[in-house]
Amino acid sequence: MHRLIAAILRHGVPLVFANVFLEQIGIPIPAIPTLVIAGALARDGQLSSTYVLASAVIASVIADWIWFLLGRRYGHRILSTLCRISLSPDSCVRETESYFERWGMKSLLFAKFIPGFSTVAPPLAGAMKVSTFQFLIFDAIGSFVWAGAAVAAGRAFHHAIGKLLKRLEDLGWWAVVFIASLIALVILFKWWQRLRFYKKLRIARVSVEDLKGMIDRGESPIVLDVRTRASLRRDMRRIPTAIVASSAEEVASQLEHIPPANPIILYCT
Amino acid sequence: MLIDRGYTEVRPLAGGLDAWVDAGYPVEELAE
Repeated sequence: MHRLIAAILRHGVPLVFANVFLEQIGIPIPAIPTLVIAGALARDGQLSSTYVLASAVIASVIADWIWFLLGRRYGHRILSTLCRISLSPDSCVRETESYFERWGMKSLLFAKFIPGFSTVAPPLAGAMKVSTFQFLIFDAIGSFVWAGAAVAAGRAFHHAIGKLLKRLEDLGWWAVVFIASLIALVILFKWWQRLRFYKKLRIARVSVEDLKGMIDRGESPIVLDVRTRASLRRDMRRIPTAIVASSAEEVASQLEHIPPANPIILYCT
Repeated sequence: MLIDRGYTEVRPLAGGLDAWVDAGYPVEELAE
């Protein structure tokens, strides 16, 4: 921890820039602690809040712009790839699109406050072919609000942060072990939740080959196409016999006469 | 939501529509 503070003091703004850029490009190195500490140090006059904030916003916009361009180039496939490596792949694409459907470009203003959505929102905006100018404006404001909140928190709680850092510093390597264990616990908890969810549903995912076999054998499972409206507009195809249900209300209405014992297969993009 | 309605045999399609299309299986066009 002491090394982090020393590094922030020594390299200051470039370190904030690098940390924010790496996090926004998808490498799991959280930038919030760096921004909060930088904010606390700025309050004590050891760094400039303006430079810290400017470097964070520029780094964030550059990283997001790269994702935006990838989204524009490769469409929603880049989104599926990103979501596949997340801890909640089945809900990732759908949830992200739902935010976008509900809020449009305004979702970029709060995207960075929602874990996972931060990295997925820019390629989604690219895949939706929104204008680059509009994207950069909304993304810059969103980045400013996000980084500004962290720096402001650092400035506001600089006494408490100083005490906490001192305590962690006294713990030495134990502090590193403690923080690493905490992060590992969160990841393990997410995995456990996912495993429990799958077990509860008695599911192993069904492969496309298995589904084709079921349809060919006349087993006629209920196939639900649960893509969002935006996703349907992008790709107007569906698996034969699939029932389109883009909202919870539509799912409820479509399943009204289907007995609960009936197998259901659902898909997104 | 499906669990709340009593459905227990719910299985997501691995790879979704993209995997279905990539496998070369037939698709239907949705009406506007």
